[in-house]
Amino acid sequence: MPGEHMSNDEFFAKLTNLFELNRKKGHGSVYLTQKRMTIPPDTDGSSPAKVLDDPLWDTHPENPLPIIVRANNNKSSKQPGTDREDVNKIKISTLVQPDQLDAFYVRYAEVCKAGMSGLKKRDKKKKKKEKKKKKGGEGEAKG
Amino acid sequence: MPLFKTSAEWYEQSSLLLKARPTTARITSKYTVLKPTASKISKRQKYLSKHPKPKISSTGSPPPSTSAAVQDPTEPVVTFKLKTYDPVSGACLQYQTAKAAEVGRLVGSLGRLGRCMAALPEVVEETSVAAAVDAGAGVGVAAPMVEKDVKLVAPVVEQKAGGGGKKKKKGKK
Repeated sequence: MPGEHMSNDEFFAKLTNLFELNRKKGHGSVYLTQKRMTIPPDTDGSSPAKVLDDPLWDTHPENPLPIIVRANNNKSSKQPGTDREDVNKIKISTLVQPDQLDAFYVRYAEVCKAGMSGLKKRDKKKKKKEKKKKKGGEGEAKG
Repeated sequence: MPLFKTSAEWYEQSSLLLKARPTTARITSKYTVLKPTASKISKRQKYLSKHPKPKISSTGSPPPSTSAAVQDPTEPVVTFKLKTYDPVSGACLQYQTAKAAEVGRLVGSLGRLGRCMAALPEVVEETSVAAAVDAGAGVGVAAPMVEKDVKLVAPVVEQKAGGGGKKKKKGKK
């Protein structure tokens, strides 16, 4: 199914939208999946590597293989008693070539960090207060 | 289906699983926001009324972190869960977190595991293998074995890395 995948740039744009949609709804999940792409998109589906009479044929392929990254959310239907809207399932996927892997994951991390709101942030204020208190206490004790 | 306590442990086990089954294993990460249901909210409120926050001024120590989690009864539960699953062997390795600070690091480790999937050599191992080849060259016996192993996994980069390492060593000597 070569037609289904989108370019990496398009994938990031849509992934940002997916996170944004989730944030607006205030409820729901975003699934991210990554997997090795074993079947080259330009062949008819039979994997030539499997012909080799080696049970561990897949642990040492001749060339680095692309990986497929998918993202999707869940379909949600309107529940009585809530103000949630109907949302259809959104599925996006992209192929990452081995030479673009590092660059892809740098951007991927940025998009995820920006998109995953609501997770607990580091409590810097508390720690600072504690430190100040401790310092103050020590000073008093010394004095 | 183990749920690991540290992300480092999860990464280590996942990379081993990916090395064993690089074609079938997949990593699914799930970011989820759950609004508490009405019953959950009432439960939380009950809990809060039963366990009032200890006043900071009276004890001098901050309240334990468990009470901080249920400060606001209507607050959604947000989690980020990572799963490495191999459908052939049925192994499923999990790690879950609720901390925003960990997301960047976890996606970074997803990237490193992605290198395993793509059959690219690991970044960290690249240098260590080069060092091992250098060290083994002096011993004689160990060197060919190491090189054999590496050639199976990654023939191209090993030659580059090994060659570079050797040249550097020779220059120093």
